[in-house]
Amino acid sequence: MRARYSLYLFTLPALAVLFLFFIHPIILTADMSFTSFKGIGESKDIGWRNYERIVSRDRYLDAIWITLFYTVIVVPALTVTGLFFAAILHRLPAIRNFSRAALYTPAMMSFVVIGYVWQFLYSPLNGGINVALRDLGLGAFEQNWLGNPDIALFSVAFVQVWMFTGFTCAIFLAGFAGIPEEIGEAGRLEGATSWQRFRYLELPLLGPSITVSVILTTIGTLKTFELPFILTNGGPDGATRMLSIEIIDNLFGQYKFGFASALSIIMLIIVLAVAFVQNKVLRDRELSS
Amino acid sequence: MNSVSQGVSQGRRRTVINREYLQKRVRSLLAHGSVLTLVLIMLLPLFYLVMMSFKTSTEIASDPLGLPSSLYWGNYMKALSSMGYVRSVLNSLGITLSVIVLVVLAGAMAAYPLARLHNRISRTIVMIMALGLATPNFVTITPIYVIFRDLGLLDSYLGIVLAFTALKLPLAVFFYTSFIAAIPMELEEAARLDDCSNWQIFWHIIRPLLTPVTATLSLFVMIMVWNDFVYPLLLLTDKDKLTVMIAVYKFVGNTGIDPTKLFPAAVLGSLPLLLLFAAFQRQILSGATAGAVK
Repeated sequence: MRARYSLYLFTLPALAVLFLFFIHPIILTADMSFTSFKGIGESKDIGWRNYERIVSRDRYLDAIWITLFYTVIVVPALTVTGLFFAAILHRLPAIRNFSRAALYTPAMMSFVVIGYVWQFLYSPLNGGINVALRDLGLGAFEQNWLGNPDIALFSVAFVQVWMFTGFTCAIFLAGFAGIPEEIGEAGRLEGATSWQRFRYLELPLLGPSITVSVILTTIGTLKTFELPFILTNGGPDGATRMLSIEIIDNLFGQYKFGFASALSIIMLIIVLAVAFVQNKVLRDRELSS
Repeated sequence: MNSVSQGVSQGRRRTVINREYLQKRVRSLLAHGSVLTLVLIMLLPLFYLVMMSFKTSTEIASDPLGLPSSLYWGNYMKALSSMGYVRSVLNSLGITLSVIVLVVLAGAMAAYPLARLHNRISRTIVMIMALGLATPNFVTITPIYVIFRDLGLLDSYLGIVLAFTALKLPLAVFFYTSFIAAIPMELEEAARLDDCSNWQIFWHIIRPLLTPVTATLSLFVMIMVWNDFVYPLLLLTDKDKLTVMIAVYKFVGNTGIDPTKLFPAAVLGSLPLLLLFAAFQRQILSGATAGAVK
């Protein structure tokens, strides 16, 4: 068996690339986060000053809060919409494949394109949504969707949910396909309604799919950058200024490499902590149910 | 007498059955119809995108939601001639294909020992891959920019290909590890008795079996690299090296957006991938759910 350790040579190319462009950069980020490096010249060691600045300024605490709040809106919404379509399409095999592909189409497209389209749909005067509301006689509901600080974050979140409903739906449809046919059949013979079958027979068996879907969408949502960048660029009034926007702004707007690194490390800690806790909680729940 | 009443009750039963059957049919048609309508409503923003790309600026201003009066190709002509479309598509294709080749090769190789050996070393490597999967690219973007600048890799195809490869490798390793773990060991053991080297076994026995998962993975990597915005935005500035999405972004701009530029550019930028999706819909969707089934 000892000779088989030479098999590990096969991992060298991958490890080399990952070391050079992933592990080494992470170490450098951690390193730079304790400096006032501005991209050029000398980098001065300033200890924990960058981190102190982050935790003592409302601006950065707000960015962390907005990132988390945005995720808390998007992930449950995506789980519900995905489950909704998957549960229905599971019962309608004739249109299942077509609908699954159709719903998935926005997830195939780039954030840039989707962001631009929705910027137009949301625009206050001649935007598609306000015009549609007016045409339907619902003019009272017209909004400055992206210009009103109270609703801008929800408007951005709505686009993200719309975009990835097809993704969670595809995950849940795969979960439904793994449920033995007899279970639904037994429920039907017992006279259970469609909703009862979903609630008491299928939903408990979808545990693993829900775990995967929640973890994947959470990690994806915490990283959100392009949509708010294109739609609002962090505005109005900082209402959509997430951690990612703050990082890019400090980096390429102000060349504060050291400070941007400290923000990046905070982001990494948040993502890893959330992923770890979620994984633990969801797996435990799966086992106990 | 008897036979008559029998006939009547049979007839009644038939109408009862017919009515039930009819009710069932109508209900099923209604269900299918309403769900299809709902799905099509979800697609409305995409219809809007295509429709707007064919409207003149006067039509957009006077009737923002109406259908174009005729298929006006002028917007497309303008976009095609000034956004450097063909060049950017070739750039994106070249970068994407290079990343796929590197990710597939290095990923499949690394996955082989990880699927076969289970000890502290393999667990550590798997941990690194999991970390790579979860880490947002914002965490590494600052140092990558600095490293690239110092090595002269900014604005080079090589640099961006390597950066993308590192970003997508962990996914490839997970894809391949679970797939190789499911391949029975007997084939390899027979080859090992014949004194085949590890490399011969990998190349002649394992690699040919990986074709289906490679196809799925390649499509997946292609979508992500094609659509990525952050890396090319920061690492490429030379006009001749821009990827499609950056070409769209630079052509459209970020303030005072002109819809007759935006919509055709958005359609052109998405078109290659949407054609790919239309052709390989099944593989792409099975890739999207590969993790869930496991």
